[in-house]
Amino acid sequence: MPATKFVPKRAPACQVAFLRPGEARFARGNTRLKSAWKMGALLALVTSAFIGNADEPPGAPLPQPAATNLSGATINFAPNDPGSEWHSPARDYANSRYSPLQQINVGNVGRLRVAWTFSDGTLHGHEAAPLVVGNTMYVVTPFPDMLYALDLTKPGGSIKWTFKPNPSSMAVGKACCDAVTRGVAYANGKLIYNLLDDHTVAVDAKTGKEVWRIKMDNLKTGATMTMAPLVVGNKVFVGNSGGEMGAQGWVAAIDVNTGKELWRAYNTGSDKRALIGADFKPFYSWMKGKDLGINSWPAGMWKHGGATVWGWISYDPESNLIYYGTSNPSPRVPAQRPGDNLWATTIFARDADTGMARWAYQTTPHDEWDYDAANEDLLMDLPVGGKTRKVLIHFDRNAYAYTIDRLTGEVLRATPFASMNWSTGFDMKTGRPIVNPDEEPRPGIKLPNLCPSDLGGKEWPPSAISPRTGLIYAGILNVCMDLANHEVGYIASTPYDGMEIGRHPASGGNLGEFMAWNPATGKKAWSIKEKFMTMSGVLATAGDVVFYGTADGWFRAVDARSGKVLWSHKLGSGVIGLPITYLGPDHRQYVAIYSGVGGNARVPVDKSLAGFPAEGGTLYVFSIDGDAVGMGPGVKPANASSSAKP
Amino acid sequence: MKSRTALCSLFCLVGVCFLSGCEGGSTSPPASKLPVSNEVAATLGQPAGMANVPESALSTPNPYANDPQAVTAGKTLYIKMNCASCHAYNGTGNMGPDLTDASWRYGGLPIEIYTSIHDGRPKGMPAWGNALPPSEIWKLVAYIQSFGGSTPASAYRHAREGDTPGEQVAPEMSSSPPPASASSGP
Repeated sequence: MPATKFVPKRAPACQVAFLRPGEARFARGNTRLKSAWKMGALLALVTSAFIGNADEPPGAPLPQPAATNLSGATINFAPNDPGSEWHSPARDYANSRYSPLQQINVGNVGRLRVAWTFSDGTLHGHEAAPLVVGNTMYVVTPFPDMLYALDLTKPGGSIKWTFKPNPSSMAVGKACCDAVTRGVAYANGKLIYNLLDDHTVAVDAKTGKEVWRIKMDNLKTGATMTMAPLVVGNKVFVGNSGGEMGAQGWVAAIDVNTGKELWRAYNTGSDKRALIGADFKPFYSWMKGKDLGINSWPAGMWKHGGATVWGWISYDPESNLIYYGTSNPSPRVPAQRPGDNLWATTIFARDADTGMARWAYQTTPHDEWDYDAANEDLLMDLPVGGKTRKVLIHFDRNAYAYTIDRLTGEVLRATPFASMNWSTGFDMKTGRPIVNPDEEPRPGIKLPNLCPSDLGGKEWPPSAISPRTGLIYAGILNVCMDLANHEVGYIASTPYDGMEIGRHPASGGNLGEFMAWNPATGKKAWSIKEKFMTMSGVLATAGDVVFYGTADGWFRAVDARSGKVLWSHKLGSGVIGLPITYLGPDHRQYVAIYSGVGGNARVPVDKSLAGFPAEGGTLYVFSIDGDAVGMGPGVKPANASSSAKP
Repeated sequence: MKSRTALCSLFCLVGVCFLSGCEGGSTSPPASKLPVSNEVAATLGQPAGMANVPESALSTPNPYANDPQAVTAGKTLYIKMNCASCHAYNGTGNMGPDLTDASWRYGGLPIEIYTSIHDGRPKGMPAWGNALPPSEIWKLVAYIQSFGGSTPASAYRHAREGDTPGEQVAPEMSSSPPPASASSGP
């Protein structure tokens, strides 16, 4: 991993960001690079805005002036992976999706061009982030869940090895929202991810050979696995999908080295199953009591009650707590399950070593609209009411943006960030949303114009935060629904659902919106309306550029402070994946993103609009001017024949 | 009309049970005693049997086709058996494929749709043969046929070969086989 020598592994991100400009200035051409780097660190110390590359456009602001942190938010970037690489979908435990790289910045991002592309041979929704470890990129495909290792030292990122896990095709028809995977995590020389058919697998990063595989759930119950694992130390945390099928939701820890399960917590049922014990101290009284995972349901209904774990897991190294949200309760028809339906639509804090619950907070008690709490939890320290609090920020599907004390589970703020009419306000005393009685569905009644739709005010793709601006960047949705409920019976491995949904744009007509959110004020700093859904992950960088994509296939770079679109590029298919950035072996900064629409972006409200793209499965890698190893005019690929015939 | 329907149901019950082996509680006679040829078995959903199957097997019509009461009953079943959640309440597909268009993974003839429901399919379609009697499956097929995307039983041969009504046919592809001398390999 040559790149690690540039960035001390334990260096705080602010230092990393500071050192980067030295490289940035010499990134245009291999021959100049090595000597350039030798001077780089020195130059970085005396760096100023005026040491520019002759190739840069005049007036390009390099390096970035110190940005104003508008919220005062600070982030712990543990595990402090090398700034040049990208080891986990969110890059760090806090789920920041922030890169300290700044070769690509507001001054030159307009010159981004395709450097190379990679077709992975699959369709279905491409929801994962590529990873970069050393000089290798790893990309995981949707079903059949193949893993590719691409050699970044070779022109065009040629394939080093391909791992084909051969999952059961039965899984395709059990996955509610397309046969997707949301990614892979790297740890201890292994790549670990979940197969759609309920297995977690570890693959040797060097050889592409399987190290271990463990069966974690059963397709016969309607469970699948789609989430991206989180690795902390020698543990990998995983969970299941299947809240639409009446699966029993759980989260589990597996030993990274042996593939053995260390603990498992179910999100419904008894306290014992839920790993709820003496340490469990929810902030609000209505979540205190014995066996609420049974008693907040009609008799026995918890057994097929959903509360799966298909979103993101964050980790706080100081408190040793993991954070994740659970899915909707099953069936999706609320009339069949009176009660709060704990622990569905709930954010949990659990001890990473034991799995024991520390606190829980249910975002949508007795969820009536399919508002899973599975979206990401961003961890940061934030000034709230004149005091710095350790918080998590959570943009829930129910369209409330929550600021929650991540040590106690107390809601410090709950503000709507998207169209909402299911709730008329938030009771800060009880921590419960005030439900609009006019918008509660009942079987036999068709409710028009309920907001947000089941897709949520924001879907699962994770947001990003920049420590330079203090702002959070997120793709959100502007979609409402007409809803008719049908009573359903439980039939194993079929949907336990009952929602008949017609979706349509909320006011404004746009389906998507990309926003910058100030977590200190609970308000948008700026936003960009998109005709199609914005259902991609976000990348924020020290170049003060923020990247996101749209369901119709546009990939954009935006000024992190002003919200001005600086660059757009149309990809082959829609973008619902997670962008990343890294330094290649040539010390050039690249930005990579999967194109391949699917998942919940292929619902009729989107799909029926003119301009909606076909499926695809292509990785796009961009660089300034499209420069890359072995590419460009007059450059001959290393393996080409020297005597080309006319 | 009524007796014809009953007769047809019986035929289909026999035929389909032969294929599946009728495990678990069916009242039909043991498969080994049924006078059904292997050719018929090879026909239903199995392309390998395409060459030499009697076309009549694929042309098996739905005894409930165009029976409004059966279509209504099929719709009820479609919702009760959770078909609607996979294939959408309007049939346009969600987790499972669209049932209203002309594209069929495993064939859109009534008997092929019947087989898909009865036996299940490898991409997640459950097998309903043990849970539903043939008459109920045919009612489901009737409801699916009412979406308009399925292939009429009368068009079985064309459907098998991917033909569409009214299309042009190259002279060499006309029904009479070409003379042996006309072909000289690829």
